[in-house]
Amino acid sequence: MTLRARSNPRPIHSGRSTLTFLSPWLVSFGLFWLFPLAFSLVLSFMEFNPLRPDLARFVGLANFGAAVGDPLFWTSLRNTLVFVVGTVPVTTLIAFFLAVALNRKIPFRSFYRAGFFVPSIVSVVVISIVFKQLYSPAGLVNKVVELFGGDPRSWLGEPGTALLSIMAMDVWSSFGYYTILFLAGLQGIPPELYEAAVLDGSGFWGTLRFVTVPMLRPITLFVVVINTIRSFQIFIEIFVMTRGGPLNSTLTSVFYLYDRAFYRFEMGYASAVGYLLFAVIMAFSFLQMRYLRVGRGAAE
Amino acid sequence: MRTRTVILSVVLLALLVSTLFPLYWMVATSVRGEGAVIKKAVELWPESPTLTNYVDVWKSGPFARYFLNSVVVSALVVLGNMLFASMVGYGIARREFRGKRLLTVGVVSMLMVPRQITMIPLYLLISKFRMIDSYFALTLPFLVDAFNVFLISQYMTSLPTELEDAARVDGAGDMSIFFRIVLPLSRPALAVVGINTFLVNWNSFLYPLILTNSERMRTLPVGLALYSQGEHSVDWGHLTAGSTVCALPIIVVFLLFQRHIIEGLTAGSSK
Repeated sequence: MTLRARSNPRPIHSGRSTLTFLSPWLVSFGLFWLFPLAFSLVLSFMEFNPLRPDLARFVGLANFGAAVGDPLFWTSLRNTLVFVVGTVPVTTLIAFFLAVALNRKIPFRSFYRAGFFVPSIVSVVVISIVFKQLYSPAGLVNKVVELFGGDPRSWLGEPGTALLSIMAMDVWSSFGYYTILFLAGLQGIPPELYEAAVLDGSGFWGTLRFVTVPMLRPITLFVVVINTIRSFQIFIEIFVMTRGGPLNSTLTSVFYLYDRAFYRFEMGYASAVGYLLFAVIMAFSFLQMRYLRVGRGAAE
Repeated sequence: MRTRTVILSVVLLALLVSTLFPLYWMVATSVRGEGAVIKKAVELWPESPTLTNYVDVWKSGPFARYFLNSVVVSALVVLGNMLFASMVGYGIARREFRGKRLLTVGVVSMLMVPRQITMIPLYLLISKFRMIDSYFALTLPFLVDAFNVFLISQYMTSLPTELEDAARVDGAGDMSIFFRIVLPLSRPALAVVGINTFLVNWNSFLYPLILTNSERMRTLPVGLALYSQGEHSVDWGHLTAGSTVCALPIIVVFLLFQRHIIEGLTAGSSK
């Protein structure tokens, strides 16, 4: 609450009008969020097929047991982890350095800023189709590879390269968004700090290490956490480009969940998988916040 | 110092060109005729550009219908959020009531839980209402976005209360104060909410995918994704034309409203 001098006491409102203002949210929160959240918890302890609701029954922890016992569940989780661990640091580094570069006085700065941002607002479906063409056997990536004397390959058709190709695409399509966030953080750093650093005779890397990085710690935490949460939910790229193949090499957790829920109609099982994935995401976010916060404490 | 700026500019320009190249490639492929593709697989600059691919997807592929659906759904969700999120935001910013803290926690928690957990029950709920494959399914659950509520309530908290107090002394009712004073004053926040809601909704995929099952009700991203699965899976001319139709409105909106979009982004990060 901000401090504000107030000559007259706060007028008394009727409780009914307060309720009117809040009602859209109460309805939407209850119906489309709280109820689904509670219901999916119930579902995760049930065997439930929407085509045969009469056969629904409680199975206790059996869904969780089945998930942990299913090698495909672990494959999907491993692929998702590879995706997260492989893309988030790369995207963060590119975005960070690009933001530092764009924060200098260069001509056409806002033009660059807008240009780099464009891929991150285009639908992922569109990006996936465009890259599917680039990666195709007769596509442009292979032409470039051949130009440099390499062997063309089916980038999305081979288990060894499919996931990597999608990861590269994800980095390409998302770094602009995080660059904007870093830029906003950079503009919040008081210029005096840089002047002091220059007076102390620190060069580019010294200033980066002792001013920029510590001052950007909170925004870095934000960028890493939201990018991790987003990357754990990678789905559209897989749906459009590979559908989990070849040989399950691009099967991710959410695609696995979607397949179980909406192709095999194992909605109880899929809900349990959803909660397991949620637990993994929360654990990751928690560790990141802890680790990056401790880092800040040490720097100060 | 000057040479450094020049080097940096050259590097940035090269990076920018390679960043935007895939999108250029999309448009370049979409304007190549069928014959050109057979004659020469890769062509950096289309020699005889034609719009036949666009005419095809617009007429034979149901992209006209997808486009209409996307426009209708986005418009309803944007207007819904501008009205409802600001009503709720106003309630949070200006009223004292029991459970206010709990409500704020609720808003934030809506942002935390991943959507794939609520997606199955939401699908079951919408089918129970017999609304699968309708505009209701595509709009109702998305009319009050938690992030928008958060953003607007932040903005309204920062507005001075004097005008509202004066209007109340003059005998104005709650609703007329809200619609005639608070909403007009909140125009900057409403612009951010409207534009960002449009961006998110236009590109929305997972929910429209599970909440529709006929060609007639698909939105552009869903229609495009399913179009790319079957017989058209390597029909790059038509696929890139459909992709361009899907991407163009977003890029135009971005170029027009850059400032608001970036404001909306950074509002979320500085909290």
